[in-house]
Amino acid sequence: MMETGSNSYFLKPDALASLAQGMIGNLTAVLTLKDGAIPFTLLDTFDQSLRRSGRMLLEIGETLELLMSDGRVLSQPAERNGRFVTDFQAGAIKQSLSDLSPLRSLSPVGSGDVRRGMIAVLDDDHKTHCRAYLQIFASDGEERGALVTLQGLRGYGKSLGELRLHLEACGGAPLSFGEIYAEIFPEQNGYDAKPEVSMAPDDTAFDAATNIISAHFPVARANEGGIIEDHDTGFLHDYRIALRKIRSVLSLFKGVYEKDQSADLKARLSDLMKPTGRLRDLDVYLLERQRSYDLLPDTLHGGLDTLFRMLAEERMVEKAKLARHLASKTYEKEVAELAKLFMKRKKLRPGPAADLNAHDYARDLIWNRYRKICSIAGGIGPSSEDAEVHMLRIHCKKLRYLMEFFGSLFPEKDFKTLLMPLKRLQDDLGQFNDHSVQQVSLQDFLWKGNNWPDGVDLEVAQSVGALTAVLHRQQLELRAKVVESFAQFNGPKKQKKFRHLFHQRRDTK
Amino acid sequence: MKIIACYSNKGGVGKTAAAVNLAYAFAASGQRTLLCDLDPQGASGYYFRVKPSKTLTEATFFKDVEKFTKSIRGSDYDNLDILPANMSFRDFDVFLSRIRNSRSRLKKALKAAKGDYDVILLDCPPNISTLSENVFRAADAILVPVIPTTLSQRAYDQLLDFFKGNDLPKKKLHAFYSMVQGVKSLHGETMQAMNGAHKERFMMAQIPFASDIERMGVHRAPVFVSAPVSAASRAYQALYEEVRKKVAEE
Repeated sequence: MMETGSNSYFLKPDALASLAQGMIGNLTAVLTLKDGAIPFTLLDTFDQSLRRSGRMLLEIGETLELLMSDGRVLSQPAERNGRFVTDFQAGAIKQSLSDLSPLRSLSPVGSGDVRRGMIAVLDDDHKTHCRAYLQIFASDGEERGALVTLQGLRGYGKSLGELRLHLEACGGAPLSFGEIYAEIFPEQNGYDAKPEVSMAPDDTAFDAATNIISAHFPVARANEGGIIEDHDTGFLHDYRIALRKIRSVLSLFKGVYEKDQSADLKARLSDLMKPTGRLRDLDVYLLERQRSYDLLPDTLHGGLDTLFRMLAEERMVEKAKLARHLASKTYEKEVAELAKLFMKRKKLRPGPAADLNAHDYARDLIWNRYRKICSIAGGIGPSSEDAEVHMLRIHCKKLRYLMEFFGSLFPEKDFKTLLMPLKRLQDDLGQFNDHSVQQVSLQDFLWKGNNWPDGVDLEVAQSVGALTAVLHRQQLELRAKVVESFAQFNGPKKQKKFRHLFHQRRDTK
Repeated sequence: MKIIACYSNKGGVGKTAAAVNLAYAFAASGQRTLLCDLDPQGASGYYFRVKPSKTLTEATFFKDVEKFTKSIRGSDYDNLDILPANMSFRDFDVFLSRIRNSRSRLKKALKAAKGDYDVILLDCPPNISTLSENVFRAADAILVPVIPTTLSQRAYDQLLDFFKGNDLPKKKLHAFYSMVQGVKSLHGETMQAMNGAHKERFMMAQIPFASDIERMGVHRAPVFVSAPVSAASRAYQALYEEVRKKVAEE
């Protein structure tokens, strides 16, 4: 029987011949290649969550194959109803992919041909001691590399060890799906929604701001295609976050750029974001569709049908509008110009804070933001206005961005202990905000005065009314949760850490 | 886990060929299978090209469970492992008792070595002894190949007498005709007589006398591999299906 374990390697195509040649100790390597190459398509989410998690999903003819990092291969029929994992037929792959975000679709990373074969390692009785399974990938008609999976047979561990040494001597490297992607599809650059912007301790605030901004324009731009094609809602989400981060740098890094230029850039960034707001809101409502149905009894579902049908129709219109906008020459010109401005830097005009040390500058920004959060949160109680919680959310978001921007300047472990509770607090604040925004928009929906026939009118009003009431009650619960998670975020130990990292006197650091 | 013994008190009746092909068929159906070559001649191991294990000849062998599991070899086929021959009868006895006892270290060792088998097939040596009695008690089913000739008939009767005399459950015995030659009238007559006398003990499947089976020694592979489209393969497939049902009923 098979020995299991991590037995997968990546091998450059030119090393295959030496792998399959001749004797391995007293044993003989015999190569058999299956006839013909089979076309394959490599599938992944846009943010390559499969590659990141050490898996590779291939569509080969009518079969899906999922290669796992330990060498196992799962398969199931390729036929499916859509681009999401939930659209897959029940099977081993669907189960294994259940950890992927349900919001991200799977789309082709690239296509090519795969040729399969096996090297059997035999003794003088022609008994197999171990095997190496080969998958040789080619794209654009050129062999790019082979995935080699070793299989030992029970009782022949020594021979497997010899084969492994031979494979390593031939240049076999422990499997990395990142490398396979890069080798098979060299033109793929690997999308990263959170690009790491490296910073040196002696960087200036100007360097830091400009580096962060120029790293995020490509992120935003990489999502344009997916928004236009409407593959999933993640594209618009990432696009907006990238632009928002850029805008945050412009507004948070005060004095880094000259005042007028800074104001102009902020306005231009806001203009870029403006056309995306309504579509994102609609995406959020529609993603919440099932939860809304779950919240109300069946008798009130009729009104929800009408509500969501209208929202879906509006989304179609908004989506088309945004797609047209993103494909327009005006947009292209503006976004390219902005990206170039930060890439080339020559036309950026430094402000009074431009030459400050980035590390010191970061400490001050983070400390001030943290203090602001503490003072707002201290005043939040059962009777506070929604607007106050909303403010807390905005400041937390800014603190999070700052901490992420400057992460590389501070000790990683300390940062993690502060970021985790901040993320949790933000989740609760986000939910609180969603509930509040949804109630307002539900009211708007009713006030808009759609010309429904009498019966439908009543039905919609009942459903929307009931949903608003449920959301309101949940919102109250969430407010209590926010207070609780703030306490978690701002416990005595964490206060000390914040002070230590961001406020201790410079000369004692 | 089911233990199936391939046993005959007469040699040269196609016992090992049946054990080898049945083991292959069980494994091919996805059941994790261990074929134990208990016949000192080591023919089962030879058919699978597995060299006899040196460690097995050591007297202390069964005191060391780890050594036992280490002497198991993966065959060239999925789900099929082989325990090569060279076991003494004394060891054989201990082997059986340990494999049966669910708390035994051997069983745990098999499990730990990811060899928690669904089916264990025993290719037994051809004699009746006090030790064979232990096989009879340990196995869930005992497959007995019978060549339809007078001598084989006599040997089968002796086996039945042994079961009777030692108070062994006769219903574990599942006989089948082996090396059957349709052209020989003696074969036909013997089968008719034996079917009449031992109606419940004989299975439907019959293994023909076939050169493909004889050639297993040349190919050193089950007929399912060396002659997949042959009368012999079809016959072993039918035998496998019948045995699988019988074992499931146990």
